[in-house]
Amino acid sequence: MVSEEYRGAKQWSRDKQAVFTVVWISFLSAAIGTMVFFALFDPVDLSGVFDEDLDIGRDAGYAAGFFFFWVLCALASGVTAYLVRTAPKRDAKHRDQ
Amino acid sequence: MNKPHSASMYESEKKIYPREIGGRFDNLSKLATIILLGLFYAVPWFNWDERQAVLFDLPARKFHLIGLTLWPQDFPYLAVLLIILALSLFFFTALAGRLWCGFACPQTVWTEIFIWMEQWTEGTRSQRMKLDKAPWSWNKLRRKGSKQFLWITFSMWTGFTFVGYFTPIRELGAEFLALNVGGWTLFWGLFYGFATYGNAGYMREQVCKYMCPYARFQSAMFDKDTLIISYDEQRGEPRGGRKRSVDHKAAGLGDCIDCQLCVQVCPTGIDIREGLQYECIACAACIDACDSIMDKMDYPRGLVRYTTENALHNKGTRVLRPRMFIYGTILLILIAGLTTSMATRTPIILDVIRDRNALYRELPGDIIENAYTLKVINQNNRARTFAISVAGVEGISLDGISDTVTVDAGSVLSVPVRARAHRDNAYGIMTIQFTVKATDDEDAAVIENSRFLGPTP
Repeated sequence: MVSEEYRGAKQWSRDKQAVFTVVWISFLSAAIGTMVFFALFDPVDLSGVFDEDLDIGRDAGYAAGFFFFWVLCALASGVTAYLVRTAPKRDAKHRDQ
Repeated sequence: MNKPHSASMYESEKKIYPREIGGRFDNLSKLATIILLGLFYAVPWFNWDERQAVLFDLPARKFHLIGLTLWPQDFPYLAVLLIILALSLFFFTALAGRLWCGFACPQTVWTEIFIWMEQWTEGTRSQRMKLDKAPWSWNKLRRKGSKQFLWITFSMWTGFTFVGYFTPIRELGAEFLALNVGGWTLFWGLFYGFATYGNAGYMREQVCKYMCPYARFQSAMFDKDTLIISYDEQRGEPRGGRKRSVDHKAAGLGDCIDCQLCVQVCPTGIDIREGLQYECIACAACIDACDSIMDKMDYPRGLVRYTTENALHNKGTRVLRPRMFIYGTILLILIAGLTTSMATRTPIILDVIRDRNALYRELPGDIIENAYTLKVINQNNRARTFAISVAGVEGISLDGISDTVTVDAGSVLSVPVRARAHRDNAYGIMTIQFTVKATDDEDAAVIENSRFLGPTP
């Protein structure tokens, strides 16, 4: 369509849609998770739990927590998206009937 | 150009870059962009009481919001605030459709600004299309280069501002100018800047179409009385080209001249004449486009307009309906609750930690002593003096502290205290109450329970 062209954006492929959606939704979920988690726990108090000598600052703690949540959420929604999209076709046919 | 005379004239109009048509809603969206982004870039620079007015000080675990300081303990406020925001979104969606998407969503407003920069450097739509097809030349390099320069500079400024909400921005600015920004600050600045660059420069409305959950949910909040952007089919059909001088009604034609302008201006590439579609972000560009054509044809405006499904079918539109009352009531209750609770909160927090090293100590003269650490948090924005007292056991008193302690604004003070009572009164496990009372305000007090241990009787 013309307007797609002027915006310099093309229709996305199914794969691209899936990848970006998974990344984005897990990002949002991780942001919420990080917020709740670190409102309850101070990274400085937590760093001692894993290793007595580990002394990471709050900045690094927040970042580590956020990326942990992001990866975890991306894994969950990524696998879900993959399973939904690669489900046997025959099932879909039965369902339609 | 002002007086198109035949259908063929509209063909040539297609090449005009649609945004240049402008109009009421384009002005509105420009205004919204300037106000919202203006706020985003300006707010961190405002000071209040000699510190940044809005600062989410994560390293110190406290949020400054103008006169208010929020602590991790205040997290429920944030949660309720988020629920209020979500409900407001529902409320306005039910009332007026996707106002958020068209005018207020960060994705929309940043995309808008990036398109302006694209227009300044690469020109109109047709110029850009030509430029993209042309082989590389000095002109192309210059135009593309300056666009990238603007985009990247603006993205970096955006990332810098974002980080400025979490790190004092004036100090950050000085560090930035000295090229001395490092660590996580640099990382998050680049991260946010890059996200802005990708989202507003390249992905644009694809984000709304493919990635946005709200775009898929919002139809659940719609009903037949919701304000939507719609094409008036009864008036427009049968569509078709015609000369301006022709009496189209006599010729059996509707008001739509099928110029395709509404399709061309649509950022998500849909045809509004096919009805309401979930891709529509309600930017109202098609209304501006159609109105401009209606003006040229001397037809009344509003063939594409804000309306409701009921109005389109010649039924009355009800603004006050159960859905609005339900959303509205819940919203009001939450807002009232949050405001009351915040207005009446005691800006003192007391944590009592019992010394775990010893159960109790016996002192000469049959005195039993327990040790505690009191953490006094002053949530106020000025230093305050507090009187600490203890009760719950007959004759209990505190030793080792002066009568009052002073805690700085927004700080935590650890006070080691020893509570003492006579052996005759102290036996087994007893509950005592520590009270911290502000000396300047009798009502500002907190009481916290703890245990006092003595020998088994």
